[in-house]
Amino acid sequence: MDRLIFLARRCIKAVLVILCVIAINFALIRAAPGDPATILAGEAGAVDAGFVERIRQDYGLDKPVPVQLLTYMKQLLTFDLGESYREHRPVKEIVLEKLPATLLLTLSAFVFSVIVGVSLGIAAARRAGSLLDTLITAGSLVFFAMPLFWIGLLAIVVFSMKLGWLPPYGMSTVGAEFTAWETMLDVARHLVMPAVTLGLFYVAIYTRVTRAAALEVMDQDFVKTARAKGVPEGRVWRRHILRNSVLPVITFISLQAGHILGGSVLIETVFAWPGIGRLAFDALFQRDYNLLLAVFFVSSVMVVLFNLIADFLYSLADPRIELQT
Amino acid sequence: MKHFLTRLLRQPAGAIGALMLLAIGVLALGAQWFYPGDPWAMVTDPNLPPLSPGYPFGTDMLGRDVAAGVAHGARVSLLIGTIATVVAVIVGTVLGAVAGYSGGWVDDFIMRFTEIFQTIPGFLLALLMVAIFGPSIYSIVGAIGVISWPAVARLVRAEFLSLRTRDFVKAAVLGGQSSARIVFRQILPNTLSPIVVAASLMMATAILLESAISFLGLGDRSMITWGFMIGAGRTTLLQSWWLSAVPGVAIFVTVLGLNLLGDALNQALSPRRREGASA
Amino acid sequence: MKKAIRQLAFALGTALFASVAFAQAPRDGGSLNLIVTPEPPTINLGNGKLGPSSFVGSKIYEGLISLTPKLEPIPRLAQSWTISPDGKVYTFKLRPGVKWHDGKPFTSADVLFSFKQYLPATFARTKLIMGQTASIEAPDDLTVVFTLKQPYPAFMYIFEATGGTIMPKHLYEGVTDYRTTQVNNTIVGTGPFKLGEWRRGAFIKLVKNTEYWDKGKPHLDNLFFHIVPDAVGRSIAFESGKVDAIRAGDVENFEIARLAAAPGVALTKAGWEFLQPIGFLNMNLRNKPIDDLRFRQAIAHAIDRQFIIKNIFSTFGEPVNGPFPGGYVFRDTTVETKYPYDPARAKALLDEMGLKPDADGTRVSLRLLPLPYGETWQRLAEYTRERLNAVGIKTTIVATDVPGWFSRASSGDFDLAYNFVYLLGDPAIGVSQTYLSTNQLNRGTAANIDGYVNRDVDALLIKAEQETNKTERAKLYSQIQKTLSHDLPILWTHQMVMPTVYRTKVKNLISTGLGMNENFADVWIGK
Repeated sequence: MDRLIFLARRCIKAVLVILCVIAINFALIRAAPGDPATILAGEAGAVDAGFVERIRQDYGLDKPVPVQLLTYMKQLLTFDLGESYREHRPVKEIVLEKLPATLLLTLSAFVFSVIVGVSLGIAAARRAGSLLDTLITAGSLVFFAMPLFWIGLLAIVVFSMKLGWLPPYGMSTVGAEFTAWETMLDVARHLVMPAVTLGLFYVAIYTRVTRAAALEVMDQDFVKTARAKGVPEGRVWRRHILRNSVLPVITFISLQAGHILGGSVLIETVFAWPGIGRLAFDALFQRDYNLLLAVFFVSSVMVVLFNLIADFLYSLADPRIELQT
Repeated sequence: MKHFLTRLLRQPAGAIGALMLLAIGVLALGAQWFYPGDPWAMVTDPNLPPLSPGYPFGTDMLGRDVAAGVAHGARVSLLIGTIATVVAVIVGTVLGAVAGYSGGWVDDFIMRFTEIFQTIPGFLLALLMVAIFGPSIYSIVGAIGVISWPAVARLVRAEFLSLRTRDFVKAAVLGGQSSARIVFRQILPNTLSPIVVAASLMMATAILLESAISFLGLGDRSMITWGFMIGAGRTTLLQSWWLSAVPGVAIFVTVLGLNLLGDALNQALSPRRREGASA
Repeated sequence: MKKAIRQLAFALGTALFASVAFAQAPRDGGSLNLIVTPEPPTINLGNGKLGPSSFVGSKIYEGLISLTPKLEPIPRLAQSWTISPDGKVYTFKLRPGVKWHDGKPFTSADVLFSFKQYLPATFARTKLIMGQTASIEAPDDLTVVFTLKQPYPAFMYIFEATGGTIMPKHLYEGVTDYRTTQVNNTIVGTGPFKLGEWRRGAFIKLVKNTEYWDKGKPHLDNLFFHIVPDAVGRSIAFESGKVDAIRAGDVENFEIARLAAAPGVALTKAGWEFLQPIGFLNMNLRNKPIDDLRFRQAIAHAIDRQFIIKNIFSTFGEPVNGPFPGGYVFRDTTVETKYPYDPARAKALLDEMGLKPDADGTRVSLRLLPLPYGETWQRLAEYTRERLNAVGIKTTIVATDVPGWFSRASSGDFDLAYNFVYLLGDPAIGVSQTYLSTNQLNRGTAANIDGYVNRDVDALLIKAEQETNKTERAKLYSQIQKTLSHDLPILWTHQMVMPTVYRTKVKNLISTGLGMNENFADVWIGK
């Protein structure tokens, strides 16, 4: 029951946060020079005077900003995210088309980095001070220090151009008629490079955090007691150390949620992955306000959701933690 | 101090990290001396490969010296990294200190504010800010600072929260010291070490962020930075690979050095301290 | 004698047989893989006129005519046409038996709808040119008559697929706002291909229109337009065989030589005879000291345009000294003033103007707006900055993204700005827009954003638009070129040569003056 109340209060706070985020982004986006009307006019090549003004009126851009914000908020209540200026389609449709691709990419990267990172961290902690430890720590740092897009480009050149093992870009093979199973395999093949590239960056973080947490837990009294009592080493690790090492990792995970979305912009650009990261980037350049705002909105919702889940998992993992409200 | 330095450099990570940064630092400071003049100047034949006589890193399509670009770029990239970090640290420390020390509704308010900023996807926000204010050194530094301060704020707040209840602080309060004095004289010095560690890591991230922003084409066109060079060389990747590879290595060395140094600092400053997150 | 004749006949017969046997007959079937970048906002050619929309939409929609490489009209939806001797009445006989993709018949009502209502609302260029008409009428289902207010020899050029897209009237009954209506998302044309599938962010698939009016065509079954946002990715797409042809602009010019060198790959510079892109540096004549001719001449002397063509555009360009590039109708190089690369002369001119260098060597400071499309234009801006700095004109590059560029260029917020423009077949359409003093700000970036005001040139341009006699027209345009190339309201850097790289197994890829913007009914894939 306590938990439910906790969740409910957090949800309300989350909604408020998201509304503030929207308002801030709304104002910021409109502060950027040039608006959709100017671009549409510019792209038309040569227009007559008044063309720009007419477009502005069509889209309600001539009204004062607070009025525009209110109109937008009202629409939001009915989940109407507005229409894209460029495509003349509901923004909701466009975002829903591309959201699954980004989710697939970021979740795969995330799962990859957590599994690999935590495993390496535990392995390093178990043999702390050894050559393996140094190798793992150094190795994970190496990938942390390289720019994401750089690794991506190199990966394409090596694995796609030189070795021909993996497809160079995209989410699926264009024009191929595949069965459901073949399609899945096809997408999986395309997913490998982008997800691993995105994930490698975070592997470093999780390795370090897990290693540090495990080392600290290993030092604690209850572990020493368990060992003294003759509990087998494997059990000690699984029951005690692992469970407690995971806590800081969970904290970090919730912090990384927003970052991974940012990283997806770069990866989606380099690998031509049709997700919302790239969508936001293009929308920014075209001043397609509604589309850009929608991506911010969706991203914020995802981050908040992630945080909620992380908090919840944290409270499950460590009953000593009181659920703060 | 001497004790601290010895402890720092005795660790292999510390020594290597310090060495790497020293090398980059020397390059940055001495850029004007090693490569006098304008790194943008078109000095020779275009598209020379690395290890050409006189041009160890080759030239680009306009005949500009890549080595000169890397050297001058070091200054700008380090400058951007440092200033952005300083901005983030100052803003974050102030807000975190106020929140952590005051408690109550002030704390709540500041934390909600911080949470809002952490909810907006950082990189997208940075891009948006650069688009708004136009791509320039100032907007990039500002953008990076704006998305980095929340982490510092949370860290400082957590430290202040825990330190506030300690005996020496209570003694100072009883002794009648003003709040400001307590904050500056008593608590802040004890939080310096985690801030310094965080700052070193943050600087690494700042440099990576700047390179990402430049890569996407939103960098400042008048200053040569490593990120800009990678972005400019990106479309020639399949023929003039060195244009992107060399500055990438420079970033790598700097970021790695900063991380190693940060790790070593962490060890040296507080051998018994908890590593890792204080959320 | 008889034996000789028999031998001759045999030889001829063999030769004939050989030529027939080995002359390749078009093969039906297969898919062509192309790239479209960036992903178009729409493929409805009626309201999407940008490059990517045009590239894809031109296979689905058609105009009354197309144009040969020499820009002579080719019948499409119009089977034939006549122009009255006074040049004011254009009568088009439409092709019978043409069906829209949804099965409804194509008639003159669609043509009327397109030119009287739809296009004037969605495309400024067509609106402008239809403004020349006194009336547009359809005496019967297969005839349309355009009556002009005065003669306008460039009139035919609006009827190709992009400028004169024929739209299906029956879909738009009751629609008031043609620009924003949702009906535009229904893709129905008369062209050789129909929309198969548009997987956003991945590809656009067009499929063969089996009811196409040109029997036996199209030869291809499918067209795939791959969407690849990254330039390196596009190079890789072609190199790895995923894509069969790349247009100019898909990859950077410096990649072209390498891609074209592969076996089974060819390069052509044809296909841009209608669009005729020309690159230039806009100079804002409203700002001092740019308003002084000597200053502009100094800029012209300070930049080495040969270097630009050779190194920055990787030899894909031709020198120009005036507003008319090579191959453009009425071009007259004899009247041009040439400003060769001569930095010393540039400095002398600046000295003459009284602009002395200060302690840093700076005489004056200017802002340069680079064209925000790709690395080549960035290098061009950086090169220009160096060359101008060298003569004492301290130049700062204004960093901007595409919307920022549009905003500044069309509002006159710049000193120097790089730009390029399509010349569209006839100077009445492609040249007047940039030099008429009445066509200044907030009318798009092909307009007279420099603020050039020359009443004589205005008069000449307007007169030339209406002159039906070719020789007379040529004289008028010669005069215009003479004045403009001397006055330098704009510094023309080069005629842009746009290479297309393709696999040799693809036949007839470029056969008309519209190049890759043709409808691809004739394209086929050999072995």
